[in-house]
Amino acid sequence: MNKLSREEVLHVAHLARIKVTDEEIEKYQIDLKKLLDDVDKINDIEVESEELLVTPVEQDSVLRSDQETSSVSFEEIKKNVPAVTGNFVEVPVMIGE
Amino acid sequence: MNNLKLSIKEIHSRLVNKEITPLDLVEECYEKIEENSILNSFITVNKVEATEYAKELSKQEVEKDNLLWGIPIAIKDNISTKGIRTTCASRMLENYIPIYDATVIEKIKEQKMIIIGKTNMDEFAMGSTSRTSYFGSPKNPVDPTKITGGSSGGSAACVAGGLVPLALGTDTGGSIRQPASYTGIVGMKPTYGRVSRYGLIAFGSSLDQIGPMTRNVYENALLLNTLVGRDKKDLTSADKEIEDFTRLIGQEVKGMKIAIPKYFVSDIVSPIIIEKLNRVVEILEANGNTVEYIDMKYLDQAVTLYQIIAMGEASSNLARFDGVKFGYRSENSSSVEEMYENTRGEGFGKEVKRRIMVGSYLLSGDNAKTYYDKALMIRNAMKQEFDKVFKEYDFILGPTTTTVAYPLDENLDDPTKSFMDDVLVIPVNMAGLPGMSIPMGKDQDNMPIGLHIIGNRFEEAKMYQLAYDLEKKLK
Repeated sequence: MNKLSREEVLHVAHLARIKVTDEEIEKYQIDLKKLLDDVDKINDIEVESEELLVTPVEQDSVLRSDQETSSVSFEEIKKNVPAVTGNFVEVPVMIGE
Repeated sequence: MNNLKLSIKEIHSRLVNKEITPLDLVEECYEKIEENSILNSFITVNKVEATEYAKELSKQEVEKDNLLWGIPIAIKDNISTKGIRTTCASRMLENYIPIYDATVIEKIKEQKMIIIGKTNMDEFAMGSTSRTSYFGSPKNPVDPTKITGGSSGGSAACVAGGLVPLALGTDTGGSIRQPASYTGIVGMKPTYGRVSRYGLIAFGSSLDQIGPMTRNVYENALLLNTLVGRDKKDLTSADKEIEDFTRLIGQEVKGMKIAIPKYFVSDIVSPIIIEKLNRVVEILEANGNTVEYIDMKYLDQAVTLYQIIAMGEASSNLARFDGVKFGYRSENSSSVEEMYENTRGEGFGKEVKRRIMVGSYLLSGDNAKTYYDKALMIRNAMKQEFDKVFKEYDFILGPTTTTVAYPLDENLDDPTKSFMDDVLVIPVNMAGLPGMSIPMGKDQDNMPIGLHIIGNRFEEAKMYQLAYDLEKKLK
């Protein structure tokens, strides 16, 4: 059966920052190939104009005055943070010792 | 107690006449939810707060001019509700409690409506059956062995099952209209920009819209009245004058020109569904309207376009779920990079992961030109194709779905099937048009069949006029 290689799946998983298990890799080799074959059909579609449609209903951009507006406090935000130390969000070490 | 079976107008008059209070309505909702727990239509019920609020309202004077005063409503679980858990049906947000309300929620609260709970859905709205929910599938009230459709499956199920009279859904590629069709209710995806998306947890930002899911056409228009308007917090929201979407309801539909694209009645659609559509055509023609079958380019390529645009935008939007500031975080990671990968690997379900991976690939390096830019070119061409039709016709009609709702255990292992379920409704999101589904009959097993009405941009009121007229005549 037509499928992606292990390396290709790992490359795509890395782009998406998603860890995949060995068992999952086998499944993705088939599933992702199926989806990618599907989207490849785009190359067979002919189109006259090269104009891109970014948003279906155009709106004028609106600027606001450069003034401070209300925002939420860290006390509020903190409630949803997985790990907090004082007024800081805690994450694993980013720079080696 | 049987107040929930009544129309909103009748409930309102009982409230005004002090025959019932909002508390009666809320208690009845929770009784019904409990009795019908098999439907699994809610992820979170808001019982304590809703009951308290209903008590408070019960002491107040009823707002006589506000039909929605004290009326219970259910909210899809990807719309942020301050203080009420909002999960997107994902493990990633299992314990997430928003600290602000979406703009639509603020508007609903201004009307003094009562939020009953948050409804089940496909994880991050990705799916056509609601089976990708981390909290188990909701079930179709018409036949609980069948899917509700999706992604707004819980909202559809709770309205169709009579648990709550009104609900909000969201529609990125058919997620309001398709489950409305499968469960036999009315669902409207408004024009892109009609309703603010502020506080809607984004999936495909250029496609997403919030819209009403209701038991009938009139109540749908009534609920849309409260949702619309320019919002400074969403620059894609449209600056349109406030209008009453019920204003044309009751006026006869006559002399209208209606187009049915031949693709919408091709052999991808079940014969019984075509049969029901033919009856609609007969009714329209008998009342002095013209119906013509037309050729439209690109409709058969909508799924491919959708896959590229929706998966691409999803991969970008869902990059925010990294375990740092909110949501699930995987323990025991030795670096930040590892924390991202573990968190996303463990926190997302398989459909979501598949779509993010494909989306990331499609947007990486030169692929963005080959796939995404090409898709946007075709999207532009498709929009122009619709614009051409609307120069000549008032509406485009077709079936909402190609089949009726199928058994819960069918088509579980095909990663492309969920896209095909929405083949007839996706083009509407591509062109930013309003689209709605209303019931047009049932098949031999009593499963509902939906009629899909597509209008020109910002012509929702005219669509409600047609929908109401047909609703009456199809009875």
